Amino acid sequence: MGFMMTLSTILATLASPIAALAQSEPVHAAQQEAGHAAAKMEAIAAPGVGPLWLLLIPVLPLVGFVLSALCAAFKVKSKLPAWLTVLCLGASFAVTLAMYLQISSGQIANPSVATGFEWIRVSWGLGDAHSIVANFGLYIDSLTCLWMLFVTGLATLIGLYASEYMAGDVGAGYCRFFAAFNLFVFSMSCLVMGDNLLLLYLGWEGVGLCSYLLIGYFYKKPSAVEAGKKAFIVNRIGDLGLALGLMLTAVHFGSIEYSVIFAKAQPYLTALSEGRLGDIPAVVQLIPVLLMIGAFGKSAQLPLYVWLPDAMEGPTPVSALIHAATMVTAGVYLIARTYPLFLLSETALPIVAWTGALTALLAATIGMAQFDIKRIMAYSTVSQLGYMFAGLGVLTSGGAAFHVFTHAFFKAMLFLSCGAVMHGFAGQLDLRKLSGVGSMPGWRVVGIAMLVGCLNLAGFPVITSGYWSKDMILGEAFANPHMVAIGWILLLTAGLTAYYTFRVYFRVFVGPKYFEPGDEVHGHGGGDHGSHGADAHGADAHGHKAHDEHGHEGHGHDAHAHFHPHAPGWAINTVLAILAIAAFAVIGLRFVGGHEGWVSGLIEHSSANYAGHAMYAAAASHAGAGGDEHAHATFFGYDAHTAMMYVSGVVGFIGIAVAFVLHFVGRTTAAKSRADALLPLVGPLAKWAQGKWYVDELYNAIIRVPLLVLAHLFHLIDKAIVDGIVDLFGWVPKFTGSSLRPSQSGVLHGYALSMAGGLAVLVLIVVMVMK
Amino acid sequence: MMLAVLILIPLAAAVMVAVAPASRARSIAMVGMLGVAVMAGYLLFSFDWEHTAAQQFALDEESSRLVPSLGVSLSMSVDSISMMLVALTALLGPICVAASKTAITERLKTYYAWMLVLQSAMLGVFCARDMIFFYTCFEFTLIPMYIMISLWGSTNRKKAAAKFFLYTFTGSVIALAGIVYVAWSYADRHGMWTFDADTLMRWSRSLPAATQGWVLGALLLGFAVKVPLFPFHTWLPLAHTEAPTAGSVILAGVLLKLGTYGLVRFAMPFAPAAFVGHAPFIAAVCVVGILYGGLICWVQTDVKKLVAYSSVAHLGFCVLGLASCNVMGVTGSILYMINHGLSTGALFLLIGMVYERYHTRSMKELGGLAAKMPVWSTFMVFFAMASVGLPGLNGFVSEFMCLFGAFQASDQWGAGMWGTAAGQTPGATPGHLGAWVAAIAGTGMVVAAMYLLYMVGKVVWGPLVEPAGHSSHGADAHGHGSHEHGGLPRDLTGREIGVLVPLAALCIVLGVYPSPVIKALKDPVALTTDEVVNFGKARMAMPLVPPANVVPAGHQEGDPHGAGEPAPAHAVESKETAR
Amino acid sequence: MNMLASIPGAMDAVISGTTLAQASAPAPMAASQLAHYLFVSAALFAIGLIGFLTRRNLIIMFLCTELMFQAAGVALIAFSRFHLNMTGQTFVIFILTVAAAEAAMALALVVLLFRRRESLNAEEFSEMKG
Repeated sequence: MGFMMTLSTILATLASPIAALAQSEPVHAAQQEAGHAAAKMEAIAAPGVGPLWLLLIPVLPLVGFVLSALCAAFKVKSKLPAWLTVLCLGASFAVTLAMYLQISSGQIANPSVATGFEWIRVSWGLGDAHSIVANFGLYIDSLTCLWMLFVTGLATLIGLYASEYMAGDVGAGYCRFFAAFNLFVFSMSCLVMGDNLLLLYLGWEGVGLCSYLLIGYFYKKPSAVEAGKKAFIVNRIGDLGLALGLMLTAVHFGSIEYSVIFAKAQPYLTALSEGRLGDIPAVVQLIPVLLMIGAFGKSAQLPLYVWLPDAMEGPTPVSALIHAATMVTAGVYLIARTYPLFLLSETALPIVAWTGALTALLAATIGMAQFDIKRIMAYSTVSQLGYMFAGLGVLTSGGAAFHVFTHAFFKAMLFLSCGAVMHGFAGQLDLRKLSGVGSMPGWRVVGIAMLVGCLNLAGFPVITSGYWSKDMILGEAFANPHMVAIGWILLLTAGLTAYYTFRVYFRVFVGPKYFEPGDEVHGHGGGDHGSHGADAHGADAHGHKAHDEHGHEGHGHDAHAHFHPHAPGWAINTVLAILAIAAFAVIGLRFVGGHEGWVSGLIEHSSANYAGHAMYAAAASHAGAGGDEHAHATFFGYDAHTAMMYVSGVVGFIGIAVAFVLHFVGRTTAAKSRADALLPLVGPLAKWAQGKWYVDELYNAIIRVPLLVLAHLFHLIDKAIVDGIVDLFGWVPKFTGSSLRPSQSGVLHGYALSMAGGLAVLVLIVVMVMK
Repeated sequence: MMLAVLILIPLAAAVMVAVAPASRARSIAMVGMLGVAVMAGYLLFSFDWEHTAAQQFALDEESSRLVPSLGVSLSMSVDSISMMLVALTALLGPICVAASKTAITERLKTYYAWMLVLQSAMLGVFCARDMIFFYTCFEFTLIPMYIMISLWGSTNRKKAAAKFFLYTFTGSVIALAGIVYVAWSYADRHGMWTFDADTLMRWSRSLPAATQGWVLGALLLGFAVKVPLFPFHTWLPLAHTEAPTAGSVILAGVLLKLGTYGLVRFAMPFAPAAFVGHAPFIAAVCVVGILYGGLICWVQTDVKKLVAYSSVAHLGFCVLGLASCNVMGVTGSILYMINHGLSTGALFLLIGMVYERYHTRSMKELGGLAAKMPVWSTFMVFFAMASVGLPGLNGFVSEFMCLFGAFQASDQWGAGMWGTAAGQTPGATPGHLGAWVAAIAGTGMVVAAMYLLYMVGKVVWGPLVEPAGHSSHGADAHGHGSHEHGGLPRDLTGREIGVLVPLAALCIVLGVYPSPVIKALKDPVALTTDEVVNFGKARMAMPLVPPANVVPAGHQEGDPHGAGEPAPAHAVESKETAR
Repeated sequence: MNMLASIPGAMDAVISGTTLAQASAPAPMAASQLAHYLFVSAALFAIGLIGFLTRRNLIIMFLCTELMFQAAGVALIAFSRFHLNMTGQTFVIFILTVAAAEAAMALALVVLLFRRRESLNAEEFSEMKG
């Protein structure tokens, strides 16, 4: 019933933000500029009361989910679920926009809390001090706004893209896809907007579930099922860390609501800025370490990154939205949200930085050696997430958030472009079997979008947003005297990134035109009913040579002698165009709304703000980490930030140039390039990198196999020993009985004789003893 | 009186089933079960939710007296803990009858009559406030279940039924010995026998610590077999695999809860000092059970056996919550009893539905059923997720609370562990478990994901695999497949969906809005934990209240520590006499 | 009557026309007298026992049990007289009644068994073999 009230309040207040839309813009910029200086040192404000219409942001995707599920129940065989999804998500985006405008205009306090209903409340002992409360409530500040803007915005766009991409599965599969898609956006908004760690945890596992369902979308493919399972289980390991961190927070702070935690952490922050590190108990320092395990799992960082590349088994829109743009940034969000706690630990942020940097490098080296373009993009995602973590670790939460933001756009675009290729070439993803796609008829938009995406990812100087966001992280790394090593690792990674990105571009999108169609895994592999007529792809669009070795039901009947690439339609092209423009447009955000850009401005007004470098320097000096105590280190005598603008640009350029020389110049076939000639020079390294450094095999050998052996052993013990002892108890009377059995001969005289004997003995005893 | 009616409804229905012709058996049973459900609903409605710790709907003393010379009575009453479990039992009753329609085709009268008797006995356990009455009902559940397994079970049913009966019977006889010892020592001292639960509880608490230890040992052993806790679990997989579907549902849904209910209702209050003292040991057993059971699940090939072993792991969490001896853990544990009944019960129903169609439960012979049975698959994934403990569904709330209960229950918090000083850990409670126990038990969450997704991955997803004889050819399934599967279509029928939907709805409701339930459980739980932790002190000073229909509630508004005055007896009494 | 005659004092009571109850308390019996009765009893019992153990015919075996029964009866009465306690005699009458009923039952059973096996050899019946 709380829900009903909430709903009615929502409806009643829905009108207000729309009215506010028009007038809020100028106020926002001015206020941010003014508030900026003061915000640096001030504590996180106590939250105001947020309006309940904000709940529409998570509720609308939930409505979309229910509607899509109803479509499935009523066996809708049209694109209806897609349009419902786009409608709901679009509306959610509109509400998010309204929320942002009201926050920035000050109509909603920053931060503020909007409580929907009480989810879990356990109290014990006397008074409110002893209770754990997790409401279904939203914590709204500018960090929330930032994340929700790109989550709902991109989700709407990708929903539109998917309406065309998934058209081959119209029917039950289509409904299933969009139901999970909506559920994902709902979970993600709970994750981002929840006002307590438990609601975050709900979203956290919820996105994990949707990820599982969507990776395993083509459920007839064993590899997809395995990948989904792997993603869920690896994430669960991280979730355990998050759960323990949450519990420790609850035990120490007595609450899991952000507003209370931040208020109670304030004395520690003060102690930190005054250099009294001894006042911060170890338990507080342990919290971020536990939380970051969760972040490493969800954001595919070093020990737990293995699930993300496999997650590419899912349909491409899913890869774009969940496994590139939004869900995987949840770890970054978690750290940004609980940044005050991370600042309190001497070890947490350095661990984050090093993990991020090493992940970035490792993933980049693997990405260089792969041939599956979607997988290359997956490794680049892991690598870029490493950048973001490194950014958080080197204390530029603004830079990290900006990179999240730009990356969301250009990586989604890259995935969608790859998806378009995959869609059009019957599932072909091998860069040795495709060439010159960009110049084929109908592929111009895709080619341009891919180029834009690649330039961004490679960090092409000045004109790309990727350059600016990456630059902020690099500059900050070099500016921090203790993080220079990380800076070098990231710089090297930047060069590798530029190389492998353009390796894809030069081989697939330019050069001689050539293609081999794939085995059509994406549309038909999951043909839902096994019914032969459900092939809505249209025979001409997807006809391909009958090398249908898997023999999936429902396909292989439309085989034509000639394969024609299926150029993308309006929905895909529109989305790609919008994203390409957006990828450029966000450059502008670097130069508005705050001295380090709009995103940094937002971050400074949120919990991810940190009170200047002095605090961190104090912490570092206390840890006895280092000699020279410059707040800003230099890059060979130059200001690190300025120097990085040039250095990283040059490094990116070099990477692109190397790719150009090796993979474009003089390439006449799709399969071979000049890089092949260089392979012997690196010895087995290329092979090892292509084998992903055998990390999967390693995990399998040291974790999965021992566990499996243990499980079998337990099963054996259970049968033989634990149950054996029970059976032994049952066996004792059975044995006793059977050994006494012969005495019951059934012969009457036997019994009589023994009776007489017994009598005789008795008499004897009486006579002998009792005389 | 109302509780007596509640218990008598299924008994009366059982008699009618026995008298009426077999063709009517199922409908009479259904009416009986629905009658129980309606009655339970009415009780829920008229329950005084303001005083949840008070024993309500008590039978008056005169009519409940049974053997005065031994102090045995039929005293019955419920507080909110019992009420929840009564509601769960009443809910599962009609579901089990509905689920048996196609599965049970012979000896209908016997089947439904025993099922009704079982229902009655289970309700009796949750309502009883007399130890002998409790024990009688507790033991009497064995007979119907024994008969259900041994008559309608699968191939190895005789052995399974015998093992189930003998094992749990042995365990509960030991529990009886503990109960009788306490009653005997009371009679020895006071010159009169009584088996009134509250009187004995109070008496037991005043016994010397060593004696309490033995009492706890006896009760714990008896209830641990029933739960079942780790080394005593081997009857469960066997019984589950052999039992008919409805039997499995009742077994997992309610019968196992008799053990945990016994622990929270009797073992903890009877020997609080010993319980707190042995909590780390109990927790260790639970943790071993969680991991051991979970890993064994992972290598099962029989789906039903997998779910059966998962019960071992799940109930490890449940008892871990009890071992934490704080409000969080114990509330979580009681929620766990309900949630496990819903989600695991539903999983058994789903497995039964597949078994009726394919006559196999082997994961080697089943696979990719999503292609053939999308509705079934949806439910399967849903309930598997509820069982995994996905937030937003019921399993999570209770699992989290049990884990967190264990996490916070440590005297180490605020005493220097990890630099915490006194007053720096407002979220901690006294106890002997702590973070490590929770962390190790928490790995059980990962293991749960491993085995349940393994099962879902095998059975629901992947390429279609059907047992030989069930051709995967489309035409066959749609055309003349019907007589092959006992008249069942390939995917679920409306009846089967109707059986699952209430469970699914409750899973969502208890996952999204568990707040009222937690609130309702708070007072009796606080009373219990308070008794356990501060077992002596306030309680000992109280005069012994004679065994009566109204027993101390002791936990009222403004008195959260429940030091306890006698109940607002008049309130409860008037409630009773009003009808 | 002969039993009564053997009891000193009882005969006198009969002769003098008074009832047994009205008679003066019977005189105690000498231990040596008791031994005679007990010897008879023991002999009867031994004959019954040996007969039961050596014979195979069910009817004979049954008769042997009856012999042992009566042996016990004789001993009981002897002791009863010896101790001047009537309980033993009461008990014997009770035994006689039961033995009569039992004899009817047992013979009926024997007839049934004979119908089944056409034999009364006890060794034929060993269904109770464990």
